[in-house]
Amino acid sequence: MQRMLGGAGSGLKYAILVLYLLAVVFPMVWVLYTSAKSTQEIYQNPFGLPAAVTAPSAKTLETPIENFEKAWVGSHFSSYFVNSVKLVSISLVLILLLGAMAAYVLARFEFRGKGLVYYLFLSGLLIPMQLILIPLFFQFSDMGEALTRLLGPITERLGLGYLTVSLHDSHPGLILIYVAASLPFTVFVLTSFFRTLPGELREAAMIDGASEYRIFFSVMMPLGKPGLVTVAIFNFLGLWNEYLFGLVFLNSDHLKTLPLGLASISMQAQYKSDFGLLFAGLVIAMVPTLLVYMFLQERLTKGITVGALKG
Amino acid sequence: MKRKEQKTFIAAFLLPPLLLYALFVLWPAVNAFRYSLTRWDGLGSATWVGLYNFRNILARSSEFMPALEHNVFLMVVPGIITLSLALFFAYVIHQRIRGARLFRIAFFFPNIISSVAVALLWVLIYSASDVGLLNNLLRLINPKHEMIAFAESSRLLWALVPMIVWSGTGFYMVLFLAAMENIPDSFYEAARLDGAGSFALFRKVTLPLMWDVLTTGIIFLVIGGLKIFDVIWVMENGRPTTTTHTMATLMYSKVFEEYNIGYGTAIAVLLFILVLLATMVSFRLLRRERLEY
Repeated sequence: MQRMLGGAGSGLKYAILVLYLLAVVFPMVWVLYTSAKSTQEIYQNPFGLPAAVTAPSAKTLETPIENFEKAWVGSHFSSYFVNSVKLVSISLVLILLLGAMAAYVLARFEFRGKGLVYYLFLSGLLIPMQLILIPLFFQFSDMGEALTRLLGPITERLGLGYLTVSLHDSHPGLILIYVAASLPFTVFVLTSFFRTLPGELREAAMIDGASEYRIFFSVMMPLGKPGLVTVAIFNFLGLWNEYLFGLVFLNSDHLKTLPLGLASISMQAQYKSDFGLLFAGLVIAMVPTLLVYMFLQERLTKGITVGALKG
Repeated sequence: MKRKEQKTFIAAFLLPPLLLYALFVLWPAVNAFRYSLTRWDGLGSATWVGLYNFRNILARSSEFMPALEHNVFLMVVPGIITLSLALFFAYVIHQRIRGARLFRIAFFFPNIISSVAVALLWVLIYSASDVGLLNNLLRLINPKHEMIAFAESSRLLWALVPMIVWSGTGFYMVLFLAAMENIPDSFYEAARLDGAGSFALFRKVTLPLMWDVLTTGIIFLVIGGLKIFDVIWVMENGRPTTTTHTMATLMYSKVFEEYNIGYGTAIAVLLFILVLLATMVSFRLLRRERLEY
């Protein structure tokens, strides 16, 4: 089949594609090899390869190690990284579980008010996060106070001291927001997914005497895997890269996530002009995404398209 | 008995997610409207001021209007370039040229890097110090080139254009490519038999048949442009000026730096209304007669 384009037009098209490929790839390659250079090397020869590569010796090889050590230990990237992993994985598990529960019921059962509930979830797709950000900030203060008043006396009587609850500057608080805010999209995609699963499976399992709970966990969840994976990928990227809520709700350095840590390092390092550290930090932030992309590339683009076309 | 069991099951499965969602999304969304009608510093008691904040925003528009203009600029200028490039790349790659897979994989990648990392990467590209990639490239061409601070406040909006195109094009390309792959080959063959050339094929077959997806793409661009925050915040080191503020950064500054909660929330409400309007208008205007095939 003749689908290739002929002659000069083809050459021009290729030239544009290759040019754009360079524009996409080169900045990242540049960041990667510059992260192995000392700030001095960067100043003297901004484009050149690091001395660790051109003239490897015990001394020059020290530079990249130094940069990454400074970022990982000195600038707490190890802690940002762990925080990101923790926040995102706990949120994801809860999102998938709660989202699938709601979606399954909405897709498979008839009850009064079903339409209303479905549209309530759907309406969340139109709510920008900026709208709920400020009210949530004050709601967290009120809820923290109320919980403290409620639980404080109890824990005091139990001899555990007066417990003060704060949803600000805490991972559990942020997880609550992440999970709640991810539900509309998750419920929307999973509901349409559960609708496509054959109903006979449930009936067969029921005849075998399985309870509704069992059917959900051992029949429907495994069958729903493709839908769950799509939703997981989409939510993972959104949460892994999330910045605005983290900025408002996490203040302590030891709680910050990668995007927050990267942003604050960038502001500090610029004043100190420690570019080696800055490039190393950028690499640490980008490499996990790159790895995930390399392994899940096909699934990821497919998931994103499905998600986007449905959302 | 059976029915009652089922009712319990439905309640047990539906209530936890619904309550969480209602408490942390719906309730604050309703509260946003309430806050926007008050004057409040976040500490004392709030004063009911009716529509004062909105009148204030729209009448003394020296802050809000420029911010809104920046949002519009950041959706229109990079948006047009992004859509054209994405359509072009999708069309060319769809023709299964050699290296198609490589192009597709590489072009998409910038889209999944966090916006903070993208902003920092471009801060380094644009830097006026010796590290700056772009300035160094220009110095290679012209040794007498003087360093330009590309990402300085006064130039930042234009500097954001290549960055937004760079990070977004791959996403729209993948989206359009999926739509193009859904068009049956027989359509092209029929058109080719009628003597249609390459450009005519694109205009008469491809474009009309992927109109829905194109609409979706435009809505994404518009909504993304209305909500933009991260990149400006990072590139301005958390201190945007009147030449760089967008609605979201202005809202943040008003609330968390000036403690003007009513005014800030009113901006958030306007942002929400604009997102809603943009979605509805795009659907109305752009959704031409749907072509079934």
